[in-house]
Amino acid sequence: MSDSKIEWLRIPLARRRFLQGASALGLGAAFAGSFSGAGWSAGGGTLKSRTYADMRSLDPAFSQGVVDEEIQAPIYNKLIQYKPGREWGWQLDAAANIEQPDPTHIRFALRDDIGFTNGFGAMTAQDVKFSFERIIDDKLESTNKPDWGPLDRVEVTGEREGVIVLKNPFQPLWSITLPYITGNIVSKKAFESVGGRIATEPVASSGPYLHKSWQPKQKTTLVRNPDWKGKAPAFDEIQIFHIDDEKTAEIAYEAGELDFTRVSLGSLERLRAKPPANTTIEEFPSLYYVWVGMNLDNPKLKNKKLRQAIQHAIDVPSIMEAAYFGVAEPSTGIIAPGLPGHRDKSLVPPAADFAKAKQLLAESGERNVKLALDVLNKQTNVTTAQIIQATLAQIGIELEVRLHEGATFWSLGDEKTGERWKDVELILNRFSMTPDPYYATAWFTTEQVGVWNWERFSSPEFDKIHADGQAELDADKRAAGYRRAQDLMEESGAYRFITHEASPVMYRATVKPALRPDGLPLLRYFQTA
Amino acid sequence: MLAYALKRLSLAALICLVAVTILFIIIHAVPGDPVSIMLGPRATPEMKALLTSKMSLDKPLPVQISVFFGNLLRGDLGTDIFSNRPVATIVFEQVPYTLALILTSITWSAVLGILLGCYAAVRPNSLGDRLAAVLSVSFIAAPAFVVALYSLLVFAVWLKWFPAIGAGEQGDLLDQLKHLVLPSFAIGLSWVGYIARLVRASMLEVMGELHIRTARAFGLPERWITFRYALRLAILPTITVIGVGMGFLLSAAVFAEIVFARPGLGKLVIDSITTRNYPVVMGSVLVSTILFVLATTLSDLANAALDPRIRKSL
Repeated sequence: MSDSKIEWLRIPLARRRFLQGASALGLGAAFAGSFSGAGWSAGGGTLKSRTYADMRSLDPAFSQGVVDEEIQAPIYNKLIQYKPGREWGWQLDAAANIEQPDPTHIRFALRDDIGFTNGFGAMTAQDVKFSFERIIDDKLESTNKPDWGPLDRVEVTGEREGVIVLKNPFQPLWSITLPYITGNIVSKKAFESVGGRIATEPVASSGPYLHKSWQPKQKTTLVRNPDWKGKAPAFDEIQIFHIDDEKTAEIAYEAGELDFTRVSLGSLERLRAKPPANTTIEEFPSLYYVWVGMNLDNPKLKNKKLRQAIQHAIDVPSIMEAAYFGVAEPSTGIIAPGLPGHRDKSLVPPAADFAKAKQLLAESGERNVKLALDVLNKQTNVTTAQIIQATLAQIGIELEVRLHEGATFWSLGDEKTGERWKDVELILNRFSMTPDPYYATAWFTTEQVGVWNWERFSSPEFDKIHADGQAELDADKRAAGYRRAQDLMEESGAYRFITHEASPVMYRATVKPALRPDGLPLLRYFQTA
Repeated sequence: MLAYALKRLSLAALICLVAVTILFIIIHAVPGDPVSIMLGPRATPEMKALLTSKMSLDKPLPVQISVFFGNLLRGDLGTDIFSNRPVATIVFEQVPYTLALILTSITWSAVLGILLGCYAAVRPNSLGDRLAAVLSVSFIAAPAFVVALYSLLVFAVWLKWFPAIGAGEQGDLLDQLKHLVLPSFAIGLSWVGYIARLVRASMLEVMGELHIRTARAFGLPERWITFRYALRLAILPTITVIGVGMGFLLSAAVFAEIVFARPGLGKLVIDSITTRNYPVVMGSVLVSTILFVLATTLSDLANAALDPRIRKSL
């Protein structure tokens, strides 16, 4: 465990009021720490939560995904953090104020009461500069460099004041960069003292909790930071258990060994009917998107009418019932509800229209159609594939389901790993995303053909919408662009959108959770009930 | 005995070498791009090229194998690309959990199985023997994952006697033992049945031999005859089975580690294969192979110590 020895002076912050930047998601203006103001209790005790995988790194430059972020968010600070609730937005964290005077400049002022542990002093603008610029430094080889998009530099204008300078406007900065992994601020002095990067042992923390220990493949323990000057954290200790298997997590919850966990869709009905004692179950829409893609470069699928017949023959409501236990909703595209660019409805309705599908198949002139569907070997996918197999059979298309294990599946369409992309016909795919539409469209551009764009869909208009969407400041115009992008995908006949899944969670009555709109926990804001 | 031990250990080293080489080839032959998985979807081509070169994945397979064994001779198992930690550290911090689970499972199942087998053998065709047979076959037939799930539901969820997940707090031996009960019960139960049936059959065979009849004629106590003379011979095939069983328990430990969310070598292997984390896969596979070969070698040595005829057979 890191010793907590904060030694810093409270350097008075210039009291100039910056305009507070509006949320990139257009969901309202930010406010300074108002979430933590009301009803925050320092009840003590231990919170036991679950993540689906083990921690990889505590270095924001090398962390991947929500698992690392769940641990980093309570021990580091960012300029802004995601705001808990049912709508996407952000709130101030280490920044006392933040504003965007023009599309390429973001001016910030840090709070004056945040310091690093182990004697590394107060958090200054130099730490912000170091934290952000190191990620774009080629010498560090950070895997998260793309998240910082067109960052040029951070100018330090005062002890706790600075300006983030971008080469081009980059709207996702407010939704996936600053409030997520790459927005974590680390201590410049601390990192330099250990050679510039860390692995799984933090050299200095600054958040409401400290990293106490990590037992690989088992759990991470955080403890209350006694020198935290903000609102007191609610728990003395947070134990984050790394449990891959959802059913095991549910059993552990029922055995009283967890206070918060995600629930598998298959267990939801049972748990709703007979919930464990003192338990609340809540459902959230997920950001994942699932679709059936068709390889446009496969000779078998060159015929657009055939592809459209397949689109209309896949019955999404049946998939929702059989594979998702009636919990998830059909999706309209790749952008989830609540995000800019979400479409209210898709061009092809969710329910199959077999008459239309048969008519399209007849118009295509194709006879004795036999196709293959590549699927990742997981129960939900297998059931989905079986439903698709059955519904395509109704219009006379014979479908072979090909199952693959994880790493094999995830390289199927990658040109660099061989010629297997040529054999891909239909593919059931599922991507995760962060809360910005730019992150969703990024994988379907022409540049991504043979990388992650396995349908090999290529549209200059789509590419332009994706490129412009990063810089578009007009929220309405930006959303309209992303809606059009999904229309283009669907019109190509290469996509049948299935669902965004669902993210149910359960927690004890003793806990008042703080969750993102997709149900992921923001542990630093959890309270005792 | 020393010559036998040296020969057996040399053979064990050769087996390890061959097994690890074959596994290396199989792992690298399976489709899947470790670089894409490691760097994530947003990696640039330059980043991928750099990591490919760092991991020597751009070199021919024979070169990769020679690099692996070259590093191994220097005691270097490489570095985990995800966490930047030494593979040896990652692997060896998991080994104690797996060893504790396997040794606990095999120990309790061997003790109970041998006692049950002996009891059945000295009372052949009695009610006790039949009951032991029913129990043994039931234990063998019960799939370990079913035992695991039901033992979790009964003893962790309903009765709350034992913890459901994890391996216990570091430094708290009692807590760690509590966390061992359900997993070792789940994977050891079928071995009670195997060992009991094996011991019974061997004992019945040995009990009919001349030297046992002679011992009885000398008026030696029945308990003395059973444990001192009969069991010593009857135990030989059981020791071999236990040696091989240690290897099977290494596999069984995988699901116990998943169901009970325990750390361990099996889980590490699965996770690293899924992510094509080659350095960790090879490190953990190497250690698993050594553990398996070591277990079978020790059982052979134990057999040789108990039966001089075996020493001459190699």
